[in-house]
Amino acid sequence: MNLMKSIGMAALGIATAAILSGASAMADPLPYPNKVVTLVTHSSPGGGSDVFLREMTKHLGKYIGATFIVENAQGGSGAKAMARVATAPADGSVFYATTPTYIYTSLMSKPQNTYKDLDPLVNIFADSEVIYTRTDGPFKSLKDVIEHAKKERGRWGAANPASLERQAAEQLKRAAGVTPAIVTHEGGGDMMLNVLNGTLDIGIGEIQELRSQLDAGTITLLATFNPERIVEKPDVPTVKESGFDVSLVKFRGLAGPKGIPETTTAIWDEAIKKLLEDPDYKKAYTAEVLVPQFIPHKDYPAFIDNFGSTTEAFLKSTGAIK
Amino acid sequence: MTTFQDIIHLLTGTPLFFVAIGGLTWGILGGALPGISASITMALVLPFTYTMDPAQAIALLACVYIGAEYGGSIPAILIRTPGTNSSAATVIDGYEMNRQGRAGEALGISLMSGVVGSLFGLAMLILLTEPLSWLALAFTPPSYFGLGILGLSVIASMSGGSLIKGLASATIGLMIATVGTDPISGVTRFTFDIPDLLGGIEPVLVMVGLFALTELMSQSGSTTVLQLNETIRIKLPSWSMMKRLKRSQTIGCILGLFEGLTPGGGGSIAAFMSYNEAKRWSKTPETFGKGSEEGVAAPEAANNTVASTALIPLLSFGIPSSNSTAVLLGGLLMHGLIPGPRLFEQSAQVIDSIYVGSFIAIVAQIGVGMIILPACIWLVNRPRAYRAGFIFALILSGIFTLNNSLFDLGIALALGLVGYLMRIAGFPVLPMILGVVLGHMVESSYRRSLVLSGGDHIIFLQDPIAVFLLSIALIFVVFSLTREFRDARKTKIEEAHS
Amino acid sequence: MSKDLISGVVLLAISGTYYAWSGGIADSTLSDEVGATGLPHVLSFVLAILAVLLIVRAILVSRARTAIATGADDGSDASLPRAIGFLLLGAVYVFVLPFIGYVAGTALLIAAVALYEGAPRNWVVLAAAGGGAVLYWALFVKLLGVHQPVGSLFQGLL
Repeated sequence: MNLMKSIGMAALGIATAAILSGASAMADPLPYPNKVVTLVTHSSPGGGSDVFLREMTKHLGKYIGATFIVENAQGGSGAKAMARVATAPADGSVFYATTPTYIYTSLMSKPQNTYKDLDPLVNIFADSEVIYTRTDGPFKSLKDVIEHAKKERGRWGAANPASLERQAAEQLKRAAGVTPAIVTHEGGGDMMLNVLNGTLDIGIGEIQELRSQLDAGTITLLATFNPERIVEKPDVPTVKESGFDVSLVKFRGLAGPKGIPETTTAIWDEAIKKLLEDPDYKKAYTAEVLVPQFIPHKDYPAFIDNFGSTTEAFLKSTGAIK
Repeated sequence: MTTFQDIIHLLTGTPLFFVAIGGLTWGILGGALPGISASITMALVLPFTYTMDPAQAIALLACVYIGAEYGGSIPAILIRTPGTNSSAATVIDGYEMNRQGRAGEALGISLMSGVVGSLFGLAMLILLTEPLSWLALAFTPPSYFGLGILGLSVIASMSGGSLIKGLASATIGLMIATVGTDPISGVTRFTFDIPDLLGGIEPVLVMVGLFALTELMSQSGSTTVLQLNETIRIKLPSWSMMKRLKRSQTIGCILGLFEGLTPGGGGSIAAFMSYNEAKRWSKTPETFGKGSEEGVAAPEAANNTVASTALIPLLSFGIPSSNSTAVLLGGLLMHGLIPGPRLFEQSAQVIDSIYVGSFIAIVAQIGVGMIILPACIWLVNRPRAYRAGFIFALILSGIFTLNNSLFDLGIALALGLVGYLMRIAGFPVLPMILGVVLGHMVESSYRRSLVLSGGDHIIFLQDPIAVFLLSIALIFVVFSLTREFRDARKTKIEEAHS
Repeated sequence: MSKDLISGVVLLAISGTYYAWSGGIADSTLSDEVGATGLPHVLSFVLAILAVLLIVRAILVSRARTAIATGADDGSDASLPRAIGFLLLGAVYVFVLPFIGYVAGTALLIAAVALYEGAPRNWVVLAAAGGGAVLYWALFVKLLGVHQPVGSLFQGLL
């Protein structure tokens, strides 16, 4: 990703925001039953989901005739946000920006309201989970890493404890038949330092957190856990292509209280599909290496349920939950 | 590269001047409100920066950070409530000076020490970003363990006479730090299925409970009248006083520099350690805890230095070393700026405006401080009955902003009771606060190191930084203990003679 | 019984309770060798030792100088019940906040504390409480944009 380009993009984004009021008159936003729609996130201002929502709401007004407000319900790793949304009126005025975190929190800490109390609305993106190493290190491919782990003790990093990254590491370990030490961190930044200074062979994390290092060329991607190659990084193979049958989807979507009317969900189905095609928004999310993965309302609950039960089985098998 | 003209332009032509002062003022306000940390203060303005020019937006956030780190010392001195985590050490002598009616002097010292620290930090940021960023990279899990232990070693000299009680207090602090999600396996500990406990107990709740609420409780119905400040004038330290404070400020600056580079405490470790070191190297260590000017200068120089040097790992690697710099990272990303080596080449304008904006803010801090501090002193000099009500309401409102949670208020109140009982029973509270602040870092880096080594403790001896830090910690403890025993014996002999 | 003796017994109880609670921590294979229970066990052990030391020292000291009355300086003038009463005002505030909301709750807290601390019962208390509550509301809710509780009693009005 070229830096100048991204600055230009930011300027473009701001320009878009400025002309948005004018633009919305030209485009034809779908009529919506609520004037104001609150999008709740568990991340703090400036955090992953927060940035995602604020960027998206800049463009969403073109397709849905409502004003969007981002609300930060931090605390309890999503437990608070889930409670906030589960108890809100089911008229399409409040939604929650979901990530796998809400499934993990539901399972690990059993709050009063869990993911099962929410109605998945639509999926919008899949984040790219990647395996990376330092560029001047000894590893040139995922195979090298696995070979090394077979000969001596490998050292792998996962961005967070009991998370999708950790699950990915465990599954790769099993698929490859190796037993490296898996060191969990609290966030990707901390782990990246340990990959850069050679403490860890590889790190498993989100590509978004690596952008500055990728840009500077100090870090190399070895593989992605996505089912398909990342469009922006065509030479990075998937883990599956590298010979290990592991793939993961770190979803990003919306969920609401149970019982949202079908007319409302239909509006979202249509609007999100159009939104992902929006040229301005496309530029912005491509820069963020977000992979559009639209799942309509009729299929989304099944997807989330499946994700939930897979995760539950994994956590049970490790003894993390009973 | 920047020309001199560009800098002049930034200083005068654009509204960066107003951005810097506005950011600073907002930061001081947020930092001064108990419970509203530097990171929350920054997060609150983040949405407004969205439509700003990127260079100014980032400068604004940097200035808010500077203001908030300074602002935290105001309530620490005036109402025994650290406004931010890193101003906890300022409470010790700052509040004591206030009790002696020397609030204006204490605030003047914290203001000027903050300016000294900030200027030093900014100079390091501008001149030494590259070499220092390599130092940040050299920190491995064993080094963090060394850093955490070094921080804990301060307990030995902060136990105020009874080592057993100090250690017990620290142990309970460490116990409080284990509440929440386990850093390695992710299982929940001591959360009793309460979602509010998943993220652990925030250190600021412990500080507010143990310092501020305990103080309010023991003043309640007290018969002795608190020494009121006769004047609301701010007394900036004289030249000779600044010379006297030079040593403690230098200690603060150096420790702040290192803490800013390393992910972790976000200024609190440096503040506590510089307090401890200033005491050790002081010509009058016996005045510490009894209203020592150096005891205010050292931690304030340290935490203000951190506000600038924490930008070094952020700008050079995109790695936030504290919650505050994480918000700043969010700000950079929102404007499509990717921190890293190339930011300096390709967005030199952003970097320049951070530098220039910070400089304006630091200098303006003196003026802004001189305007708002007298008002603050006046406020806390109101009749006691009203003052207590206002402080109590302020503290509870501030804590609520942390997570919008009434549960947090309950925790703080409970800790107020704990603090009060500890005071009656003669237990020092500082070790407990250190335990809460450092527990997480010590545990996670220890366990992470052992995962790396396959359970072999030799890893701590193979890492040069860890060896260095752990040896210093050992020296600290031995020195403190011998001094403690010597003092104890001395008092015993004196008692026997009297 | 001396303060140290009581403290020691309380610490011992804390250590035991904490240890017992640590039994509830899940044992995960995702964990390391030290485990999620490692530090809690060490801490409860350390606290128990410190508690015993404190108790032993307290008994030895009290034997040595039973005659000398300990001029207890607890560093505080307030009596315990008075201090706890103060804290209870805060607890009541936390309890009623969800019902009466931030502004009314804060006004009540300021007035209650002022009266508790011996302010004369006149209009000044009311003015200070009302003014203070509005000031804090402006500061926290309006300026800082914090969602302080609205209060279920007034929810219909907004």
